Amino acid sequence: MLHNHPSLKHVLGRGAWYFLTFVFAVTLNFVLPRLGEANPIDTIMARAAANLDAATAREQEEAYLREFGLVELDGQGQISRDVTGKPIPTSLATQFTRYVALCFEGDLGTSILQYPKRVGEIIGTALPWTLALQLPTIIFGWFVGNLLGALAAYKRGVFDRLLYPFALLTSAVPAFCMGILLVYVFGIQLEWFPAAGGYDEGMNTSLSWSFVQSASYYYVLPFVSIVVIVTGHQAIGMRSMCIYELGTDYVRYAKLLGIRERKIVLYMFRNAMLPQLTGLALALGAMVGGALITEMIFSYPGLGLVILTAIQGNDYPVITGCTLLITTTVLCANFGVDILVGFLDPRVRAGRTASK
Amino acid sequence: MGLCTRFALLAAASALALGCRADARTDEAFPRRETLSVGGFQWAQPSTFNPLASTPDWPVTTLTAQNLFYETLLVFNTLSGQMQPLLAESFVVKADIIEVTLQPKARFRDGSPVTAEDVKYTFDLGQRHKTIRVATLWPFLSEVRVLDDAPGSDGAGEPHHRRVGFRLNPARNNPLVVLDSLQETHILPRHAIEPLLQAAGDDMNEFLKVKFSDGPVGTGPYTLHSFSSEKIATERRDDYWGNDVFFGGKRAAPRYVVHPLYKSNDHYSVALQQGRLDASSSFIPRIWLKQRKGVRAWYDRAPFFAPSAMPVLWINHNRPPLGDVHMRRAMAFAIQYDDIRELAVSGYSEPMKPGLVLPFGFEGKYYSEADAQQYGASIYDPARARAELVAGGYESVWGADGELIETRQGGRRVPTVYVKSPTGWTDWEASVRIVVRSMRAVGIDARERFVDTGAYNPAGVAGDFDLLMFTPSSAPTPSKPWSRFDFVLNTRDFAPEGAKMYKNMGRFNDPKGPNYIRRFDELLDLIPTLAEPAALLAAYRELNVLFMQHQPVLPLVYRPDQFYEFSTRVWSGFPTAADPFLPPQIPGARMGTRTLWHLSLTETAPSGGAAQN
Repeated sequence: MLHNHPSLKHVLGRGAWYFLTFVFAVTLNFVLPRLGEANPIDTIMARAAANLDAATAREQEEAYLREFGLVELDGQGQISRDVTGKPIPTSLATQFTRYVALCFEGDLGTSILQYPKRVGEIIGTALPWTLALQLPTIIFGWFVGNLLGALAAYKRGVFDRLLYPFALLTSAVPAFCMGILLVYVFGIQLEWFPAAGGYDEGMNTSLSWSFVQSASYYYVLPFVSIVVIVTGHQAIGMRSMCIYELGTDYVRYAKLLGIRERKIVLYMFRNAMLPQLTGLALALGAMVGGALITEMIFSYPGLGLVILTAIQGNDYPVITGCTLLITTTVLCANFGVDILVGFLDPRVRAGRTASK
Repeated sequence: MGLCTRFALLAAASALALGCRADARTDEAFPRRETLSVGGFQWAQPSTFNPLASTPDWPVTTLTAQNLFYETLLVFNTLSGQMQPLLAESFVVKADIIEVTLQPKARFRDGSPVTAEDVKYTFDLGQRHKTIRVATLWPFLSEVRVLDDAPGSDGAGEPHHRRVGFRLNPARNNPLVVLDSLQETHILPRHAIEPLLQAAGDDMNEFLKVKFSDGPVGTGPYTLHSFSSEKIATERRDDYWGNDVFFGGKRAAPRYVVHPLYKSNDHYSVALQQGRLDASSSFIPRIWLKQRKGVRAWYDRAPFFAPSAMPVLWINHNRPPLGDVHMRRAMAFAIQYDDIRELAVSGYSEPMKPGLVLPFGFEGKYYSEADAQQYGASIYDPARARAELVAGGYESVWGADGELIETRQGGRRVPTVYVKSPTGWTDWEASVRIVVRSMRAVGIDARERFVDTGAYNPAGVAGDFDLLMFTPSSAPTPSKPWSRFDFVLNTRDFAPEGAKMYKNMGRFNDPKGPNYIRRFDELLDLIPTLAEPAALLAAYRELNVLFMQHQPVLPLVYRPDQFYEFSTRVWSGFPTAADPFLPPQIPGARMGTRTLWHLSLTETAPSGGAAQN
């Protein structure tokens, strides 16, 4: 039946593959952090138990294990024990089933280290910071970078000779280097811009004009530190793509036909754009992982830092919650691009119908 | 043109931002002239202000005896070594009981008086719920009781009971532990806590899900204003009961005390230099370079801070060759303590002396230089280190290039000793490198092993290490130096390697082992019961000499428990070594809170409602 709807078939086919990938990724995300020997309760206990005697320490540890579902309970809600009296740890499989069941209810669980905060709440407060930091930089950098890249490829000459090495340089600078350099020069030495933070410390978040002003002022250094790098990357990519396209048969053929230059550039641009679009979608998808280094340098409480602290303390629920979010967005972005490219690029569709 | 475009864009953005900067401060929540900004106590995002949580957010945490929201009965003055009144007006330590009399005027935020019943309730919670912090006190108590027969009048409001007795458990007679708890335990209002606890079905895990985000019903001078992932803000209570009792009716100077949540020591350091932060307990390297920016510490020159804690290397006594006292003493003689002090901790330390008693401060009276000279091994002396190695039958095998290859004993190779420490704790990493270099230089085969913090914590408790960096019992409390000895030597809950042991992690002096030295435990039991100074000194000297002879751990350096830095850009009136009217503590922590009544705005403080920079 789908025979007559190649597009729908394409979408469903890709969808099935993505779903499989998703299941696989979620399972890995769940299992991998839990394979290590260290467990988060040890981290809590190291802080809390120094003055407890052995019996109370054990009691407290068991209370935590129970709270986080890490031990088996019997019918009466008591901890099940083996012959030596040690609590029986819940198997990974059981933990996973429970986790999946809760996920379907929209419950990502409770953080162990930031108890009693919910994982959803933690992600909820961090996500806006991450988005605010990266969404504008990625989009702005993408547009400017592609424009400059295409111009450089087409115009060549002095423009290209200046832009290309400059873009190479900026794209090769590690984010932390750029951030620290900017903070040192403009934040600490010249004191033109604040060295860290998201807005004036005397304020609380609000929708007032002065808050927006303060936030934009604080945004300059983090913005520049990422955008310069993104722009460089995009410009180099676009420039190479365009140069490649310039040498293709269809451009030469179009030139022979005497088609107007503007039209040719447009054709070329459309073709060179495809990989760049994929790149954009991937960047947007991966964005929720956080820009850890930039967040650290500018003291932005974003997702990158949440993940880092969670991993350092083996905070399983937070690690799993964040990786679930990243997996979902990366896969969605990929899926979106797959479908979009299918519609934008006739060759992909053609290939699909032809192979059938 | 590419460059031009870029610069044009950058310039445009900067201009926009600079334009914003000029008039961005019209509706601030925390005007700079009314705000004291403190830092270094909290790094994570706020999670709970529940006073019974094991690690609640600043300023509810009891680890640094914070008292902005909830207050303790007494507060410990680290300069004098004396307990001073807070909620309690006075206290008496008797043979079997510690009696406390409450301030008649002490009030909770809702206006109700602090009664003997509230105190009893607070401590009794530890009997009902074994997992809260105050429960750790109960092995040492037999009862907390209200002592008055009839309610006393406070001159205003309802008469109430004001006298409480902490009856000591005769089986573990230890007033020191009880005194520690009296200056650390936040007194809670029974009428506010008990209904919430009952609503949770008297289940502590359920109760701990209550986050107290609307503010505490505490007795302290500040209350919760707001919090976010960037800061926790507290606001002054103008009706604070202590204004009359301690400060002649005066209010604390800053209307707001705010704790910004930065991600690293560097952020606190920069904020302090830029005058955005007023006081901090974070680590700032080479603080003398920041003096010209108005950053000050307790002393104006080295050691800058008043040390009160002692990071040590735990020694795992089950792993050869570390069970051998010759090897342990050889290690103690081998370490270049001056290098650790100068290079690893920015010189923020006094010269190292042998033993586990701080040779200065309020513990100094228990230190004996003569004993240290005679028995101590924590002195850098490579010749004596080698002599100890020879005495233990060790020989070092050196390569042609002068590098140590291995250590041998009786012709057999001695296992390499690994020094475990968390990665990324730069001062500890530097210390460990110096230790390893020093040990190898005298012929002990030691190596660094830096591990993730997540693996470091359980390794210590389980005894999974050869040598391990750790700071035992660092808080400056009335039980020092006894509690430091107890943390290092305690054999009460002795557990084999693999099982959990939260003190004496190196498993020294196994009470069931063939070489058990009973005298350690006898002295640990005896010292808390002694009141007479001469007897106390004799007992401490004996214990410290035993410690030096057996060297169960390797003390490395002296450090402040909490760093104490402040900026003089906006507020002045912080205590210093030159003007020590209060101990070196950040406002909010211990006696540091009293600084708030002594602060005044400086001439460099931003005028009007405008803020920093």
